[in-house]
Amino acid sequence: MTSSNETTTANWDDIFNAVEALYDLGWTDGLPILPPTTDKVAEFLAAGGRDGAEIVGELPERRREITAEKVAANAVMAGCRPEYMPVVLAAAEAMLAPPFNLVGPSSSMGGAAVLVIVNGPVVQELGINSRNNLFGPGNRANSTIGRAVRLILMNACAAIPGLYDRSVIGHPGKFSYCIAEAETETHWTPLHMERGFSAGQSAVTVFASEAPRQVRSVGRPEAILYAIADVASSLGTSLSTSGSVGDPAAGIRQGETVVTIAGNSGLWRDWTKASVKEFLHSRIRRSVADFKRAQVFPGDVEPGDEERMVPLTASPEDILVVFAGGEESNMSSVIPSWGPKVGSTSVTREVRR
Amino acid sequence: MHDGIHVEKAGLPSATICTDRFIPTARGMAKMWGAEEYPTIFTEHPIENLDRGQLRERAEGLATEVVTILTGS
Repeated sequence: MTSSNETTTANWDDIFNAVEALYDLGWTDGLPILPPTTDKVAEFLAAGGRDGAEIVGELPERRREITAEKVAANAVMAGCRPEYMPVVLAAAEAMLAPPFNLVGPSSSMGGAAVLVIVNGPVVQELGINSRNNLFGPGNRANSTIGRAVRLILMNACAAIPGLYDRSVIGHPGKFSYCIAEAETETHWTPLHMERGFSAGQSAVTVFASEAPRQVRSVGRPEAILYAIADVASSLGTSLSTSGSVGDPAAGIRQGETVVTIAGNSGLWRDWTKASVKEFLHSRIRRSVADFKRAQVFPGDVEPGDEERMVPLTASPEDILVVFAGGEESNMSSVIPSWGPKVGSTSVTREVRR
Repeated sequence: MHDGIHVEKAGLPSATICTDRFIPTARGMAKMWGAEEYPTIFTEHPIENLDRGQLRERAEGLATEVVTILTGS
């Protein structure tokens, strides 16, 4: 597996020529990128503390070994600062971990993006946005870390639109999709600590997913959660489909769902993440009758089908709750996974520095 | 494509069926694995929405081609 490790060098004496040449090489996401000069790549590798030849992960189905040098080159092209490298490396390691099954979400007609959620001290140190305009634009760290992940997918993992990336519609998060949790502004346990990391550690969680769906509800916590559950129970998401199910007994896919909840943490003083998940898990469901009307299940609606409910997540733990978003209002978002957990499961990896 | 090519490389005859929306992707995978001549059967896209009877009908229409590829005759 050496096909990804061939190196191309060129001399460009003009930035505009360089940008055009990078377009000609097919290395961009459609927007201009910066030239990955030898010096810059070396600087980024040093900032990440890695040797260029180190294998960050493999994509055996496409005969790709992804080296630290490839990660660094794409981080440079994305416009990252060198100090973002440990986060980009952790994201790359996470999405190349076997449970993430990158070949699935990076090729599927489902059009998944890789949502990157950052936790820990590195959020403050790098100024990764967890508040207003959570999903962008405007913050360099979020924009360029998320973009680096996409460029790694396209350039190092061969997720080339139209060739191996067969997304039918895709979504804007495929340009960049990186957020942080506002963990210093809530009593809730940060996502990475729920997953076994300590407060002093930083970590990145990757999640193959659809676009965020905004939930506008500014009432009591129960009212907000009721609205979130309703949006998360929609027909037409990747979860409310009977194709490629993980557990045949469930009839539908039953994947994971990320829920971001913003606003003032004080509103949630009587709630923990666990109680939020329990509340949502018991309400993110849809009737057999609705699934039949939408031809997710075969057959005509029969007596009792309106009352028979099918959960869209198998367990409360499959709902990832993240405290993030502007503090102006309790605006939330629901992000369904690309598919069932057997197709791709969210993965968390430490940011090593 | 990946699995079919690898089964074939392992010495077991294989026949791979793809829907016709994936011709460039299938050809790309074959090339990636050094199997540009790997025979692939293309059928009209989609098949996801076919019921059992329709799927059987489609499969029967491809059976001769599958046998030809598997037996090399």
